[in-house]
Amino acid sequence: MAAETAMAAPVADAVEEPVKRPYVYVFVVLAVVTLVEVYISMQDFASIDRVSILIVLATFKASLVAAYYMHLRYEPRWVMLIPFAALALVFILVAALTASTGTLPPIPQP
Amino acid sequence: MAEGRTRRYREPDVHQGSPWPFVIAIGAAVAYVGLIVSIPLMILGLVVFVSGAVGWLRDDLHTTPRAFFGTSGETGVLGKVSARKLATWLFLATEVMFFSAIIGAAWTIRFRTTSGPGALPWAYSGEILNVPGTALATFVLICSSLTMVEALSAIERGDQKHLRDFLLATMLLGITFLAFQANEFYHLYFVEHLTFTSSPYGINPNYGPAFYIQTATHGAHVTAGVLALAYTNIKAWKGGFTKENHETVELVGLYWHFVDVVWIFLFTLVYLI
Repeated sequence: MAAETAMAAPVADAVEEPVKRPYVYVFVVLAVVTLVEVYISMQDFASIDRVSILIVLATFKASLVAAYYMHLRYEPRWVMLIPFAALALVFILVAALTASTGTLPPIPQP
Repeated sequence: MAEGRTRRYREPDVHQGSPWPFVIAIGAAVAYVGLIVSIPLMILGLVVFVSGAVGWLRDDLHTTPRAFFGTSGETGVLGKVSARKLATWLFLATEVMFFSAIIGAAWTIRFRTTSGPGALPWAYSGEILNVPGTALATFVLICSSLTMVEALSAIERGDQKHLRDFLLATMLLGITFLAFQANEFYHLYFVEHLTFTSSPYGINPNYGPAFYIQTATHGAHVTAGVLALAYTNIKAWKGGFTKENHETVELVGLYWHFVDVVWIFLFTLVYLI
């Protein structure tokens, strides 16, 4: 029972705190940014600017979901190493693909 | 099993000691090998896989597992992050790589088939895809993330009614998203004739396969999430979660939010750019 009490105590403490987490605010921001994204996609300005803005907005939205809904903000810091390690590998993948796209010949049409 | 709270932490059943994960792993391995060498072998693997999953869920349905912090009884360097949550995050990291590979392949095809003489262009945003409709579906998925996190918040307060309500809402919103997607696929394939080998309106013929593989892979993940939510709903209706023991809700939520994150990027990369 001693071990049980020791394990249950921190969880119970965490639950008893009046935790106010901004889930609804995050939801509103996500919804509004989605509308902004659709609006921007319909605008007629330089393609590279539009693409950059849209990717920044998507990254912002994804960060909000990860931080608040997936509770990364409330976990021990080291947990963030896991998704960031995956993102580092993604960065290498994107860099390699970008580099090869410029050097390899076009794929013939089927 | 309902007396879970009174069990000693280091009793073996805290770890379950269930054989079903092993069965699931064997089934998955056989199915993957079958995918390459023989369809009947693949079906056999899938049957073993599903049997293992059902067996494991049946075990779990009758327990109220607390957060599993490892085998030593000490939280140590892992802090208050349980072994199950750590495993879920590691699984999600592999999913990040999986989706990156698919999206990366699609963009490589896009870049390398739309340049050069005689190359047909990629569809521009809104040319063939229904952007406003999909924006609505995106909104539905965002709503489902909110209801999911509210379900977790409810059981953290011990509020069974709101747990059940929000879990049910999450599942229904997930099904709504899938209905949107099924309708879109039907329209694109049978009405617009965007297939795996041909495209309408002089669009590059690689557009179809690139579109379907990215969105259908995500749809398959949403389907898996809906199945996980169906199980979580059943367990919640049976009173299987308590204020102290509800880690399953949190872990299913982690997966569900991840599926939302993937869609946030896919919506931008496939529909808007």
